[in-house]
Amino acid sequence: MFKLPKEVADLINDPESIKIVATVDEEGNPHCAVKDFCTVLEDGNIAFGEEFEGSQTNVNLVRSIWFDKNVELTVRGKDGTTFQIKGKPCKYVYIGELFKRFYLAAREKWGPDSELAGVWVITPQEVKNETYEVRKKEEDEKHPFFRHLDRASVRKTKSVFLGGKDEN
Amino acid sequence: MYELSFEEVAKKYPDFPRTIMRKIDTALRGIIFTEKALERAKEEGAFYDASADFACLPTRQSEKSPLPVVAEPLPVVAEPLPVVGGVFFRDGTYVLGLESVTRGFHSPSATLVRSGEPYLLDLVDSKLWLLDGEPRSCTQGRGEPVEEVYFAPVPRYFGKKTSRGTPMIKMISSRAPNRISINISSGYCHFFKEKLPCKYCNVIPWSIEKGLPTLLNLEDLYETVNEALGEEGGFTSIHLTGGSDPRGNSPRTFAQNENVIQRLDAQELPIFPRAKVRGKPYENEVNEYIKVLKTLERCFGREKIPAVNRNGSLPVQAIASAFPKKQLIRLKEAGLTAYRSNLEVWDEKLFQRICPGKAKYFGRQYWIESILQAVEIFGRGNVSTQLVAGAELAKPYGFKTIDEAIASDLECAEFFARHGIYTTFCILWIDRGSVFYREKQELPPLEYFVRLAKGVNEIRRKYKLSSDFNDYRRDGFHPDMDLARIDYTD
Repeated sequence: MFKLPKEVADLINDPESIKIVATVDEEGNPHCAVKDFCTVLEDGNIAFGEEFEGSQTNVNLVRSIWFDKNVELTVRGKDGTTFQIKGKPCKYVYIGELFKRFYLAAREKWGPDSELAGVWVITPQEVKNETYEVRKKEEDEKHPFFRHLDRASVRKTKSVFLGGKDEN
Repeated sequence: MYELSFEEVAKKYPDFPRTIMRKIDTALRGIIFTEKALERAKEEGAFYDASADFACLPTRQSEKSPLPVVAEPLPVVAEPLPVVGGVFFRDGTYVLGLESVTRGFHSPSATLVRSGEPYLLDLVDSKLWLLDGEPRSCTQGRGEPVEEVYFAPVPRYFGKKTSRGTPMIKMISSRAPNRISINISSGYCHFFKEKLPCKYCNVIPWSIEKGLPTLLNLEDLYETVNEALGEEGGFTSIHLTGGSDPRGNSPRTFAQNENVIQRLDAQELPIFPRAKVRGKPYENEVNEYIKVLKTLERCFGREKIPAVNRNGSLPVQAIASAFPKKQLIRLKEAGLTAYRSNLEVWDEKLFQRICPGKAKYFGRQYWIESILQAVEIFGRGNVSTQLVAGAELAKPYGFKTIDEAIASDLECAEFFARHGIYTTFCILWIDRGSVFYREKQELPPLEYFVRLAKGVNEIRRKYKLSSDFNDYRRDGFHPDMDLARIDYTD
């Protein structure tokens, strides 16, 4: 089984990082939703709480687990470090210890009248570092001719971009 | 007739989720635990021994223990009356085939008629799997793992007693994971009393055998429901059910009906003669429901009721007889939200053959009209009916082909859907204590249920009917409702 790098797992487990789950519906329409409760389980799978049985995310995830489709989780830390994790939903629980853990966490965060429909477990299959600096470096190496020629790495420039410093 | 295998059906219907197909197949074929799986259930709090609660004498597996267990190398003795909290497929679909031991006590699977070889529930690489196929001998292996599954723990109220000393497990059941089921009169159905039971039904003999209370003590019920409602994230709905009692407030001598059935069989009578009831028909049964509703109202607290449900009623469905309009209104006023009256069989002739009690009190048209009236009272989507899928194929009087049976069932679903009522179906059980068991009826093949689930679900989608009270986690016994999970955004 693919194992998440520690850096990625730590970022997912960080309560202050932003996590977004992307799914598609029957016709391929994308749907993204922010998930507050997300954690890496001991077995390396990723679990997140789904608040509502009738949400588009939940319905899309049901279809995904039925017909073996992928979903994606994007996680972004406070410093901009971003990872995109591709995986398959492998389990949905709405009873038992794992569910209760998330249910009580939701209660703590949103109060005694809060709701949680269930917990989805995703098996990660692929991770991609989507942090800007990392991706820029990758692209510059892979597609050097895609760069704009007024960029500081290509020629001397006086331009100041979005308040940034002229690197020359 | 050649019967398609699971894989052949799966290949023929690729748009039908495999887990739901497997669920149907587990209901048809049953499941046997290995000792390792049973140990895992204990480790995960998913096992409970109810023998003390039910005061059952220890029984041997080979005799009548409801939990079939295989051990290394031969089947072993299972002394307790075991209960597991439920087994689920990865997607949360409820696994069938273990009905007697999954919190419900409805039917002993040791005598439930199955078709084909049972699945094995075993550990593979320390995970819980359903295994299927040959070889089955312990020395040569146990077939191939086909679906990973998981246990759910038993509810906390198991093992607790009310202040009167009644085991709470006898007061309510939670056969579906998120629902509290209350049987208001476990050991009584007037149709049984008159020897006119629905032919597939064994609930009354089973309830009597298990010593379930005929009428609930309402204080015991109050304490038990309060205890269950305190389980964090436990339950979302309450279902009431009970045997039929068409009597009004003036009981009368029971009629003997065997002669009528014989004359019907001989086609000397065109229809079952309708009964006459003194007083208000079905008032006795409704009175019992109302007592329970009042008790439940206490559990929630009157001031909370409007917040429980937008209609200001309790999150409760009654699965009950067909009631006259005045009785339905009484139930609504007592706080009932949803109502299901099970027609069981759509075809008129088969209805009276298979459900003679319903035919007598007071015939198919009466039951249909009651369901139609109910939707005026409880609202669109809050009224449903159920068919017992497979009963209409009973030999020799039932439909001769699956095509005819499905056509009749879908006619029923379409008829009611036009009136804002949805039809669901359960998979036929043939068990000790029922007429079907004596008649040696058989289960239809997997493909029949797959086609029926697809057809019923398509009608529900077409009419955009809600199924929330009977869905995959508040009921769990309806494959067509499992399919509705991807329509919740509609």
